[in-house]
Amino acid sequence: MDVSQYLDVFIDEANEHLQSLSDCIMTLEKEPENMDTINEIFRAAHSLKGMAGTMGFKRMQHLTHDMENVFQEVRSGKIKVDSAMIDLLFKCLDAIEGYQDNIRATSDEGTEDNDIIIKELNDFIAAANGEKPKAGEKAEQKAEQKPEAAAENEKRFLEFELNDSEKDKIRSSEESGLHIYGLTVYIQKECLLKAARAFLVFKAVEEYGEILVYNPSSQEIEDEHFDCDFSFYIGSSEEYDKIFQAAKAVSEIDDVIGEEVHYETLVAKQEKAENDAAAEEAKAAKETESEVEKTSAPAAETPVAAPSAAAAPAKQQAAAGSKKQTIAKPVTNRTVRVDIEKLDALMNQVSELIIAKNSLVSISSTEAADFQNQSFREQIEYLERITTTLHESVMKVRMVPIESVVNKFPRMIRDLCRKLDKKMDLYMSGEDTELDRTVVDQIGDPLQHLLRNSADHGLEDNETRVAKGKPEVGSIFLKAFQEGNNVIIEVGDDGSGIDVEAVRSKAIERGVITEEQADMMTQKEIINLLFLPSFSMAKKITDISGRGVGLDVVKSNIEALGGDVEVKTQLGEGTTFTVRLPLTLAIIQALMVEIRDEKYAIALGSISNIEDIPVKDIKYVEAEEVIHLRGKVIPLFRMDQVLDFEPREEEPESLTVVIVKKGDSLAGLVVDNLMGQQEIVIKSLGKYINNTKLISGATILGDGEVALILDVNTLM
Amino acid sequence: MAKAALETVEKETKQYIVVKVGNEQYGIDISYVDNIVRMQKITRVPKAQNYFKGIINLRGEIVPVMSIRIKMDLPDDVFTNASRIIIVKIEEKGSMGIIVDQVKEVVTLSRDDIERVTNKGRFINGIGTHGDELISLFEINAIIEENV
Repeated sequence: MDVSQYLDVFIDEANEHLQSLSDCIMTLEKEPENMDTINEIFRAAHSLKGMAGTMGFKRMQHLTHDMENVFQEVRSGKIKVDSAMIDLLFKCLDAIEGYQDNIRATSDEGTEDNDIIIKELNDFIAAANGEKPKAGEKAEQKAEQKPEAAAENEKRFLEFELNDSEKDKIRSSEESGLHIYGLTVYIQKECLLKAARAFLVFKAVEEYGEILVYNPSSQEIEDEHFDCDFSFYIGSSEEYDKIFQAAKAVSEIDDVIGEEVHYETLVAKQEKAENDAAAEEAKAAKETESEVEKTSAPAAETPVAAPSAAAAPAKQQAAAGSKKQTIAKPVTNRTVRVDIEKLDALMNQVSELIIAKNSLVSISSTEAADFQNQSFREQIEYLERITTTLHESVMKVRMVPIESVVNKFPRMIRDLCRKLDKKMDLYMSGEDTELDRTVVDQIGDPLQHLLRNSADHGLEDNETRVAKGKPEVGSIFLKAFQEGNNVIIEVGDDGSGIDVEAVRSKAIERGVITEEQADMMTQKEIINLLFLPSFSMAKKITDISGRGVGLDVVKSNIEALGGDVEVKTQLGEGTTFTVRLPLTLAIIQALMVEIRDEKYAIALGSISNIEDIPVKDIKYVEAEEVIHLRGKVIPLFRMDQVLDFEPREEEPESLTVVIVKKGDSLAGLVVDNLMGQQEIVIKSLGKYINNTKLISGATILGDGEVALILDVNTLM
Repeated sequence: MAKAALETVEKETKQYIVVKVGNEQYGIDISYVDNIVRMQKITRVPKAQNYFKGIINLRGEIVPVMSIRIKMDLPDDVFTNASRIIIVKIEEKGSMGIIVDQVKEVVTLSRDDIERVTNKGRFINGIGTHGDELISLFEINAIIEENV
């Protein structure tokens, strides 16, 4: 079966299941008795198994199957959740993720069998069964879910009655030398088009022979008048296995059970059944009933066979289980999955539209009499409003919560707890903060790095903490929120903070700076040395951090996204890294300014206010120009000098200063002329020009001219 | 590099755009050339490599423009009516403009017309003979390479 077209869907959904598994296992570690969680895990593992099976990823299917088995045992209370088990489950998840990665890269799951993990899983089951051999054995049989091990009462084809003409059919087929097989097919409960699935099964098996008897009748099956299973007899010259595989290969089929039957035994059985009718009926009914339970809610399976006293609570549980299942099943969302490339294309077109609109605006503002027409101007304004709204809508479509990235962190911190032998908790907030999809995709690694950094370097070990009078368990926090045109993500800890003196001496020792330079540097500048390549403060290299490829990579990754990172620290109290990211990558509102005869754009989001400052008000601090404005001392940047213009011969009396902000810090940019606000499309300068960070891109103005975009964050 | 190029041109003929930079004639392999545009306003990019004149708007795309003169340590460009920007396109890295004093013609050179040289300078991989004129053939990859 060609399933390649479903691959993307498979990967997406498998990711969701993996994530929910990971979340649930975390919860389970804290509340090992939580039945809801256990059920949830079971369902996720089960769905994964089904999906992997459908896609033909046998190894993945095998692993998830065994995971499912373990949970079966947990659910029936035979295995207690302990930390060894949680560890093992996480190993399973990692293994499944390994398969996932392979599948994503090559459309194939790879050849790693993960035998060790599977063996460990089975050991768990074995251990549980070892304690209670009798009950265990039976449970294992049921859990096995393989035709040969399955409980006999699942062979439902043996149960229905054959009328005379059907008997004749079977007999004549057998006499003509065909094998007769009976099969019962279980369709997944979630399956929407059961009749279609049944049809596919019939179509598949009819390649090998003729179907002799249907139950329910073919008409009923066609009309979907059946539960989740149907049975049939088929006469074929082929082996049973071929037919079995053919039926099983149809997607959304849970299980196929069958065997070769003989007319004699069938009829004999039927007659016997008729004879023992009275005695057997009750039992048969009960068997069917418990089986219904099994199919409708595998959640509730108890190994105890049917004495009615035990059956009653089991049934209740089953009802509860199936009820929850319906609740847990997501209400059909009114959403569409869209390929990110399509969104990119849409975004590009919106960009083009805005450029076109900008040139219309610029034409309309020329003095030519043709364009002084009132209604023309109104339409232009209308067009401006529409394109702005359109752009906002497209931006919103591209926004996704950072949740998808940060929700793998609790697991990571847990692992780090073990590895570092430190107790710590992760507190996260603002997971629903939204960012452009492209940014979200790439923010994972830097954040992960920062968290590891906090866990490894930031937090002291537990004894030291206690000695210092801090709570024994360290806390790491990750806080995300929106601030103007930026999203801020803070990663911090309540650990020892950065020892500025230590950084300074290390930097001098490494020859990064000289002693004199060090004396000139502010505390902040020294801390920023940590972001230099191969500057590691770790005393020993661990596999968590300390290889010196840490913060500089974080910094360059974040800068590649148009953001920046800064660090605040208080010795003894903790360190906080603040990552600032632009909300959008493509289109921004900007203030256009002139510096000499060149035009530059400054993102409106980073502008605090604009001032006219008389030259005589400029003060000097450490030979640098500053202005004193409403109680704040703001460093002044002569943009013409920053941008390498020849110095001006005479200075105007008053300067136009654009005050920009980044977090708490402000800076004043001296520009020559303000041109007004404009929506601009950010274009990259390409790969050839290696320029300072100061220019973050370029944009095309209405008249076709190119203006550069200033990234004022680099000035602060 | 020149060797690799040598093998690919072994048998067939190749077309070159002949341009003038200073007093010399140069040939640019036509397969690299995306477009030839007239001189237009080039927006300076502060702090870029000195041989980059800046960027231009080429039908909505930002394209960096370099001065081959500065890269070859010749006197700076003087833009005239004949000045052109040759837009070359290299896989992955994208388009780049190269300023030339004049675009003359397109010539077809066969292998026999080309004398391979390796000592003529960093950016030349051969000398072509066309009629009684000599054309130095640019090695585009060397020109766009960053730290030359």
